[in-house]
Parts: sequence; C-alpha cells; structure tokens
Amino acid sequence: MPKISVTIDDKKLDVDVGKTILEICKESGIEILTMCHLKGLTDVGACRLCLVEIEGINKLLSACTTKIAANMIIRTKTEKIKRYQRITSELFFAERNHVCSVCVANGKCDLQKLGYKTEMDHIRYPYLFPECNVDTSHPWYVLDHNRCIMCTRCVRACGEVEGAHNWNVMNRGYQVRVISDFDTPWGESVTCTSCGKCVHACPTGAIWPKAIVQGQLEKKPEIIAELIEKRKMNL
Amino acid sequence: MSKKKIATIWLGGCSGCHMSLLDIDERILDVAKLADIVKCPIVDGKDLPEVDIVLVEGSVTSDEHLREILHIRKQAKALVALGDCAVTSNITGMRNYFDLKEVFDTAYVNAVSNDKEGSVPDHPELLKLRDKVVPLQEVVKVDFVIPGCPPDADTIFYVLFEFLNDRIPNLSEVKKLRYG
Repeated sequence: MPKISVTIDDKKLDVDVGKTILEICKESGIEILTMCHLKGLTDVGACRLCLVEIEGINKLLSACTTKIAANMIIRTKTEKIKRYQRITSELFFAERNHVCSVCVANGKCDLQKLGYKTEMDHIRYPYLFPECNVDTSHPWYVLDHNRCIMCTRCVRACGEVEGAHNWNVMNRGYQVRVISDFDTPWGESVTCTSCGKCVHACPTGAIWPKAIVQGQLEKKPEIIAELIEKRKMNL
Repeated sequence: MSKKKIATIWLGGCSGCHMSLLDIDERILDVAKLADIVKCPIVDGKDLPEVDIVLVEGSVTSDEHLREILHIRKQAKALVALGDCAVTSNITGMRNYFDLKEVFDTAYVNAVSNDKEGSVPDHPELLKLRDKVVPLQEVVKVDFVIPGCPPDADTIFYVLFEFLNDRIPNLSEVKKLRYG
C-alpha cells in the first residue's frame, strides 16, 4: 500500500493512504477522545470529541470522518481542543438528566470516564431538565432517554451489524430522540430481534438489561467488531 | 500561624456527604490542629459567623436555602460545594422535570400511604419550595467543588487539608474526580 508522510503532535509518521485520522492515531498510540466511534461501525462524527487542528484549515475537523492526506500537520492536544472537549462533555450532562448516583451504569460509564478525562468537575451551563420517557416495554431491556447522548451507536449496530433497523432517530436539536420502529414502544417492535447488540454498543446507561441492578452493568462494546471479524471467517 | 475557622452546612441533601466527612476518622485530629470547626449541622441554629472555609452539602431547594447560601457567601472566604447535590443538583433535582404542584400532590395527597384527607401542609413557619432545584453555582460564586455521591472521605480530607495548608487542591491531578 502506498505510504504518505504526515505530522501528528510534532511526530513524523509514514502512514497508509485512505485511512481516517482517528484510525492512524489509534494505530500510532496517540490517544483521542471519542464517544460515537465504535470499532466496526461506520463513523458519523456525531459527538465532536475527536476534533483535531489541521494546519491551513481554519476550523476543527472530526478525526473519525476526516481522511488523512499527504503532508498534513495535525495537532490533537492543543489548549483549544481541550477546552472544546470539556465544553462538549459539559453539554452532554446539561442536555439530559444524568443522575450518576441512581444510574445502572455508575462506575462503568463511558460518559463518566469522559468527564474525568476532560477534568470536568462541574457544569457551567444551566441544566435543561427535559421530561424524558423511559421505555420498559421490552421483556428484557430498558431504553432510558434521560441518559442518552445521541451517539447513535445503537442505531448503527442495529442497522449495520444485526441488519434489523429497529432503531432510528427523530426530530432535531434538543428534541432529538432515538426511536424504535415508527416511535412505538420497543416491546411492540416488529423489527427488533432482541439480539442485544444495542445494549452493548450503548456507552452510557441509556440501554440496559432488566436483569441487573445499579452499578452491576457489564457492557462489551468490543463484541461488535469481533462479530464482524468472525463473519468473515467462512467457517 | 493562627488557627483557621471552618464550618459545614447542610442544605438540600441527604446528609450522606456529612457521613462521608465523618469517615475521615482520626484524621479529624489533623484538621483540629489547624482549624476550629465553628458550625456544623449538629450545633445550634445561630447564623454562620465569618469563616475561612465552608463546606456546603446539598442544593438550593427552598427560599430558606437561598437566604442561607447568600449569607454563607458573604461570611466565607472560600466556599466549597460538597457532593453531587451541591454541584449538579443530583437526586434533589429529579423533581425539576415535574410541575411543583404535581410534586406536592404526589407526596401529600396521592401517596398510597395517605388517607383520603391528605393535604399539602401550609403553615407560615414552613419553608417555601422553589419551582426548580438548582446547584450552588447557579446562585452564588463557588470557589471549589467536590463532586461525588457521596465524595470519598479521602477526597474530602485531601481538599480540606490542602486548603488548611494554603494550597489549592486539584482533583484531576490526584485522580480523585468522581460523580455518583
């Protein structure tokens, strides 16, 4: 494969053509914060955490959706990026009702970990306190909109890997919601196969199995990529 | 060096943060060497005197809390928001998704344990709940926050000890940041 030269965080690298900045960074051991990225799923650039500075471009671009190009000079840890990442994580918390102390994902939550990484000790924005539904109609799983950050990993896991397309997105802005079928109760879905991929893909406590109690949630998001690899094996 | 004055206050919270504060155990003696605790929830109800550091647990849920926190702000050199309720409104803020009347009716009129004559208590001596519960930083300037529900005793001691030794604590640096 042809190689090109790029500079990331003052490190000169010879990298493969055709990959995204995020892929290159992961391969080179450069840490980039992500929420909506999940190995195996198409990247959509929804969470805006993987923003990077590229010399010559006067806005920040998401590393997961920007292809690497020859002679790019990329910075991933500038003060500006750190400031934006902190703002982004604060807005996640302010937008819906994230009450860690009563959440099933407490201690195992990617959103909490993000807060710690961005050194978020409090939220500087007024909370919206929206009224959010909790859908408990499915026999095994619960969908809690209070804890959803609209990363859409469940939507993509369901559509791209399971092929069921149960999940989708409706509305815009702060009214945006993940929906089952045509905004009908999850338990009444005609497309859901109850496979549980969305449960593992979800980075927070928004989708969780009924059989667990607070703080006991175990999610294995890596199974999505593993499944894709296993299917290629043609056993 | 003269002894510093510290105080702890209990607003709209469950007192769990104060329990966690007591969990610093014998280290309270280290604190006592450097500071006098001039007010806490188990002493009498006098107004807060001037202090160097005040730890405030809980969110602002009523008119009385608001009056109190404004007074605290005037009296304290450093105001520390202690615990998730003070920092994010946490569980106390979960009523914010509902109309206040609905909240009252659920507790006093429609609760299963009530008889048919259940009514919302209304007495001039009772505090008046605010429409929305807010964390401390929405009404006063907060100098330092310790999130966590409750924060670890180690974290509380660390922050207190740093302040008492005229250093600024940094929770991220010592990996003591925690929510929930």
